[in-house]
Amino acid sequence: MATPSLIPAGDFRTSYAADTTIFPTRTSRNFAMAGIIALCFAPQIFNAYWLSIAIQIGIFSIAALGLNILVGFTGQISIGQSAFFLLGAFTSAYLNNNFPIPVFFAIPLAGVVTALVGLIFGVPAARLKGLYLVIATLAAQYILLDFFSRAEWFSGGSVPASANPFSIFGYTLRGDRQYFYVVLAYVVISFILVTNLLRTRDGRALIAIRDHYLSAEIMGINLTKYRTLSFGLAAFFAGIAGALYAHYQLVISQEGFGIERSILFLAMIIIGGTGSVMGTLMGTAFVVLVPEAMESLSNSLKGSAFDHALSLNNNITFLREITIGLIIIGFLMFEPDGLAHRWRQIKTYWKLYPFSH
Amino acid sequence: MNLKSLLRTASLLLLIGTASASAQQITLGHLEDLSGPTADVGVPYGQAVADTFAWVNKNGGIDGKQLNVDSNDYGYKVPQAVALYKKWSAPDNKVAGIMGWGTADTEALTGFVAQDKIPDVSGSYAAALTDPEGTSGKAKPAPYNFFYGPTYSDALRAELTWAAEDWKAKGKTGKPKFVHMGANHPYPNAPKAAGEALAAELGFDVLPAIVFALTPGDYSAQCLSLKSSGANYTYLGNTAASNISVMKACKTAGVDVQFLSNVWGMDENAAKAAGDAADGVIFPLRTAVGWGGNAPGMKTVMEISKMSDPSGKVYRPVHYIAAICSAMYMKEALDWAAKNGGATGENVAKGFYQKANWVPAGMEGVCNPSTWTDKDHRGLMKVDLYRAKVTGATDGDLNDLMAKGTIKLEKVKTVELPRKPDWLGW
Repeated sequence: MATPSLIPAGDFRTSYAADTTIFPTRTSRNFAMAGIIALCFAPQIFNAYWLSIAIQIGIFSIAALGLNILVGFTGQISIGQSAFFLLGAFTSAYLNNNFPIPVFFAIPLAGVVTALVGLIFGVPAARLKGLYLVIATLAAQYILLDFFSRAEWFSGGSVPASANPFSIFGYTLRGDRQYFYVVLAYVVISFILVTNLLRTRDGRALIAIRDHYLSAEIMGINLTKYRTLSFGLAAFFAGIAGALYAHYQLVISQEGFGIERSILFLAMIIIGGTGSVMGTLMGTAFVVLVPEAMESLSNSLKGSAFDHALSLNNNITFLREITIGLIIIGFLMFEPDGLAHRWRQIKTYWKLYPFSH
Repeated sequence: MNLKSLLRTASLLLLIGTASASAQQITLGHLEDLSGPTADVGVPYGQAVADTFAWVNKNGGIDGKQLNVDSNDYGYKVPQAVALYKKWSAPDNKVAGIMGWGTADTEALTGFVAQDKIPDVSGSYAAALTDPEGTSGKAKPAPYNFFYGPTYSDALRAELTWAAEDWKAKGKTGKPKFVHMGANHPYPNAPKAAGEALAAELGFDVLPAIVFALTPGDYSAQCLSLKSSGANYTYLGNTAASNISVMKACKTAGVDVQFLSNVWGMDENAAKAAGDAADGVIFPLRTAVGWGGNAPGMKTVMEISKMSDPSGKVYRPVHYIAAICSAMYMKEALDWAAKNGGATGENVAKGFYQKANWVPAGMEGVCNPSTWTDKDHRGLMKVDLYRAKVTGATDGDLNDLMAKGTIKLEKVKTVELPRKPDWLGW
């Protein structure tokens, strides 16, 4: 039972510094750094399609990471994450279009504004538990969506808003190849920040609230403060992700970011593993790649015997949606701890080979 | 051989591979909505575009080259359309043109298509797409956006002109009341400002707009507010499926109002589905005739229809024929471009300006003569207004219903709108 908080016998550290490292072993740190350096070459190797998938995975993983802080580390639940994502997108475009703030600063500023709005929604939500909390976050989702479709001064109302491309010191980044590095930088920074959060006092307080909030409160942890903080952090990362998305697509539309996207974010962290930072990235990659795989599968099935047997014709696109739902249910049934747990099991198997049990 | 040179040769081979493939083919992007809120009209339109280009390929292609049409169902979602556009505008593999669809995505992409010089013949007839240089001050410059048909605004203006005459012809006094109904979405909202302005000018009492979603549903609440407002003429801004819901609900609620629909709001299939609730609805037709009509060009239409329906038994709605016209204009522009410098986006766009009162070859009597200039992308200023007449039960095959005259589209009036510069772009 080797979870991050329960270290098995024989595995010990000899200094506080060794105990609070971000990466558990030197090898995993080296692999992570090698992975990032390898990704730096990705724009040269990947074609346009895979590059756009990689950028999507990067952007959504930041939003999923925010949600993981809230769901995985604080034990709350939120189905309003996509509304904060959109808020970050519209805010960044609004700040950049209407004030002399370059995109480079508009993105983190949009994250901060979204965090403040998240705090506002977090204050009532922090006092609720369970089902009532779900409904409160659902309210946040719909309030924000309605605001976007009516506030023409902010988001253009029903007309999609337009955002400017990312520019740094006057040089405008054009195309996916160059934007990939921006997303990579933000992903690396966000993941390091969140991993760092977990070894600080506040991070441990959040985990305590998740594990047993009554004991946490008795120990002196202010539940309302930390729950609200958690909401704020989740909204911050959602805002950053949204802002990155805005300057990637250059056109921000609300379609595809309703309640179904919020649930997809939840699916990303459930599939990846709710309490795991690495799991967030794996879960996001899985959730982004499954529709693409289903799309190519349904395209290859189009006009074939299977298609005629079920007489699907145009409805083959719905087969994709059905499969995604089935996969999520399958994961919940057979792999509730997510891909991160499965990856740890695989590592342990090979570490103990041939003596695994 | 080290990694860098290996990568370099690999990418060079890929580049050569794609370049040689494109030399023999002309690629077109095609957005269609087969599963989203406008799928009821998106399916026949998309089918027609695919059929037309398949027919073009069968009859020699463009200047000997075959057309490679990349059709994609984007479900009326703007992010998907933008992602597909990114694929089509990749610098080493740019398409020669796009057959677009929805208002929201076409309007979002106007800047990009202008920058990348790819003409976009859309299924959206928003007036904001008709100002190539932005001279009107009311729309963004859209030099690479074209469409076949009257703009939503011009069609509504024509319907309001008819409505004003109809009010007088019925002998009614006082100010007639007009209400704009539609979803809060760029497509139904496109003609709202123009319609309400002209209505006020013509002496209508303009009531607050009523919102109903693009998807079919229960709109009795909207019908009751329509009834209590006492409206006489109502514009339905959505596509057929949701308009039918409103018409049925209003018939049940006993609302006495003249419905004025947009081009996508009524067709033969919709009349069959709505039954007698669709009786009397006024809507514009983009083509001079419907399926099976008496025109020399109907022969070409039937040939094209055979590309996906070899039996010739499927009744094609008005949207199918209008889509054939859109695709044929793109085809002739491609023909001109291929003969005048190659089928690149820039040349294809120039190809649209070559003829005035242009009817594609083989489509005489079907497509209305259209003129696009580099200052004005309003191709058609003539609006044919038809009335849907349903005189009995509409269960049964559509071919039989049309043949018996149970469902009839009767021409009411042809309105020739003046090409006013202050009507451009909105």
